Amino acid sequence: MAKFDVVGHSVRRPDAYDKVTGGRGFPVNVTLPGMLHARMLRSPYAHARIRSINASAAEKLAGVKAVLTPGDVPQKKFSPLFFMPTESNELIRDLVLLSENIRYAGQPVAAVAASTPDIAEAALDLIDVDYEELTAVFDPEEAMQPGAPRISPTAANNIARTPTLSRGDLEAGFREADEIFEGTYCTQRVHTCYMEPRVCVVDSDMQGNLTVYASVQHIFGLREKLAYVLSRPESGIKVVKSPYIGGGFGSKLDLVYIEPLAALLSLKTRRPVRMEHTRYEDFITNARHPMKVYLKTGVKKDGTFTARYAKTIVDTGAYATHGPEVIMVHAVFSFFSAYRCPHQKWDGVVVYTNNMLGGAFRGYGAPQGCWAVESQIDEICHGLKMDPLEFRLKNAHHEGDAHPFLKQFTLASYRLADCINQGAERIGWKNRSRTPSGAGTKRRGIGVACHPLWVSGCVGLPDIYEHSGAIVKLNRDGTADLATATIDMGTGQNTTLCQIAAEELGIAAESVRMSYADTDTVPFDAPSHASRVTYSAGNAVKAAAGEARRRLLQVAGEMLEADAADLEVRKGIVQVKGSPDVNLTVAEVVSRAESPLVQMTAAGPKVTTIKEKGSIIGVSSMAPPGNPSPCAAEFVEVEVDTETGAVKVLRVVYAHDIGRVINPAAAQGQVEGGVQQGIGYALMEHLQFDPGTGACVTGDFLDYKMPTAVEMPAEIESIFIESDEPTGPFGAKGLSEVCLTIPAPAIANAIFNAVGVRVRDLPITPEKILAGLGKL
Amino acid sequence: MKAITLNINGEKCRVQARPHWSLAYTIREKVGLTGTKTGCEMGTCGSCTVLLDGQPIFSCLKMAVDAEGHEITTIEGLEKDGKLHPLQQAFIEDHGMQCGFCTPGMIVAGRALLDENPRPSEQQVREAIAGHLCRCGTYARIVRSILHAAEMSQNR
Repeated sequence: MAKFDVVGHSVRRPDAYDKVTGGRGFPVNVTLPGMLHARMLRSPYAHARIRSINASAAEKLAGVKAVLTPGDVPQKKFSPLFFMPTESNELIRDLVLLSENIRYAGQPVAAVAASTPDIAEAALDLIDVDYEELTAVFDPEEAMQPGAPRISPTAANNIARTPTLSRGDLEAGFREADEIFEGTYCTQRVHTCYMEPRVCVVDSDMQGNLTVYASVQHIFGLREKLAYVLSRPESGIKVVKSPYIGGGFGSKLDLVYIEPLAALLSLKTRRPVRMEHTRYEDFITNARHPMKVYLKTGVKKDGTFTARYAKTIVDTGAYATHGPEVIMVHAVFSFFSAYRCPHQKWDGVVVYTNNMLGGAFRGYGAPQGCWAVESQIDEICHGLKMDPLEFRLKNAHHEGDAHPFLKQFTLASYRLADCINQGAERIGWKNRSRTPSGAGTKRRGIGVACHPLWVSGCVGLPDIYEHSGAIVKLNRDGTADLATATIDMGTGQNTTLCQIAAEELGIAAESVRMSYADTDTVPFDAPSHASRVTYSAGNAVKAAAGEARRRLLQVAGEMLEADAADLEVRKGIVQVKGSPDVNLTVAEVVSRAESPLVQMTAAGPKVTTIKEKGSIIGVSSMAPPGNPSPCAAEFVEVEVDTETGAVKVLRVVYAHDIGRVINPAAAQGQVEGGVQQGIGYALMEHLQFDPGTGACVTGDFLDYKMPTAVEMPAEIESIFIESDEPTGPFGAKGLSEVCLTIPAPAIANAIFNAVGVRVRDLPITPEKILAGLGKL
Repeated sequence: MKAITLNINGEKCRVQARPHWSLAYTIREKVGLTGTKTGCEMGTCGSCTVLLDGQPIFSCLKMAVDAEGHEITTIEGLEKDGKLHPLQQAFIEDHGMQCGFCTPGMIVAGRALLDENPRPSEQQVREAIAGHLCRCGTYARIVRSILHAAEMSQNR
């Protein structure tokens, strides 16, 4: 592989200095002169109709500037997903900004803007709402029964969608099988727990043009949804990109109530309006969908799949939102196309309940599917007395195969076998005992899980935006400004995209600065999601930088009286190939390009050429050329206390094929974060609700447990298999989500190896372990 | 409203505060120091950690009116003479953050630890930040950064 000057090095994060000194760039810090503060009133009932609402006392409170109730806001139905056009047929538009029909506990019913947060809060108590309470249903399987409370007026039996996928002849496949395995695997509702709350500030001018600052993963998506919901032109809305946001993990891929409400309040008051969630509000805004996955799998004695059937029930909550989309990504990328099998069928059911809304969360349906598939493979291997690594390798795709779902692409770089083999070597797989072993109350075990197929973006998936753009502009001091709509939510894009630009321009990483952007000034970009930014935005940044480099070499060619094709630029120096003494600095070339045509020198006027004049700039806007699959194998060693049922994760070895690694430290950070969230998903996180009222009872960090520094293993051992993806920027593919899709089954499989207890529903609590051991 | 004087990073700040305002809210919204972050406003995430007479506290749980007469140090008070504190330097060098929202709280907690125990063990560092949530899961690097800062401080 080619050697790179910038790519592949753990260069410092350009935003690190700002972050260690307080982090001024977060949207939560935005304040504007004259800014009002807004709060929402939320329904205490999970299912109700508003008979009447009286806000006159609130309006009279000194300091209250505006109140919105359902009658004051557009009743236009929408879908909140930033990454798809609102008009998409794939989506169900059933959400209303403020409605008289309440479908979950916590649904907003009114909003107040006031001169201080205290007054806004006090005003909420003065709004009198008369509710007619209706019977609610929280269990998706109950919700499907005839006679269940009707949640959506258009969905019979509360069933929103029933998608299917099929290939081959399932029954014939089962007839070919030597053994058939069945199981049902359940996952719980969990929250992303981004640390920066959802917040926005919306300002309006006297003509009704809006300027929006918000903690979101997609500025163009926010603009499109706001325009849709408010029936205003997109050109009248400017969304400003924040230098970075305080985490997102998928949750900030939706329009939530605050942005359109703040916009309406700002239009009504002609003042900037700020809205910020409380942590409780964040917890009930969106969450990973609980799924129940039934698997029936036929295998030959040698471990070859002959038939696979799956049925998935998704609780989409009170409104459809992500339900119709998440179930397809779940089906394709964690079940249907994960392994080779000639006969397959999958049935999905998306069900409305009176629960909170589902949302996007890193992995988008895949953790639920991998939980089922990777747990069951372990059970099959136990049944067949077969090595789980051999089993997976036997059924895996191979490098060079056609992409199993996106038929227009191939798996040009795909080294799952290396992930499995190198990970196994590191963890010491060959010394693993096949059966529970050890004495005493603490037993150790090793488990494995794979994620064979994932995405580097959304090219090929129906109705999902997937193009990126960038502007690269060189400065007279030899540095470059990079402007893109891509948002860094902590994932390190501010670093990696600057590295890609620097490598392409032939200058130092520190010489590229991530610059200002808003929806008025930079090309469209799809969101920061779907493991897409390094690959998709990276390709666009590389293209823009390449254009700027070509222009740089043209000007340098004029200056050196050389053919641009004979020039190269490295480490900030433009030189003639093979004659490094004939050179100019990038700064000299840019200065010349931006200088006046006639320059006064000591020797008199010097005329330069028109051809070399103009800023050196490159612009791109493009869809990425492919959708290469990253893949991963994760090995976990756990210790199970057979007295208490407590599980401790001792070691994690995570091997990924993500193509070329742009910044190893940033990539390792992604893996560590995925494992933190994965251990939480496996062992402790669970968003729970009062079974009577539907109110969230884990809406804070005391009751919602996630791993801290004390629960985490000392080190997460990352192995990167650097395949060379031919369509990737410098060979790179995506990462992020494959770090969180398989920790749960790897841990469950390790627990089985340690104590012989198979848990099929998450989270794996001590109670479930003890029950499995026959002690409860 | 009550006029109070807060001693923040060695500077006297006079603000009008209501009795139920937290120190975190007052520092952010009234004094204008935005480095102190609020992630939960109920003492469960650690983002708002400041030093009160050298001890780390969750400033969202401290009433502003009760903070009068104490020395308060926020993340903005760690730099000295335009030079970063070794903790800040170490967090930069070791990639001790991802999104960065928990970073000020982590660094202030690290400062309290190193002031009390200049050469902590890894386990002591983990325990010192056990009340701080980082959802990017950067704990290993944060721990490494604090240990690295301890080394840098010793070598000064």
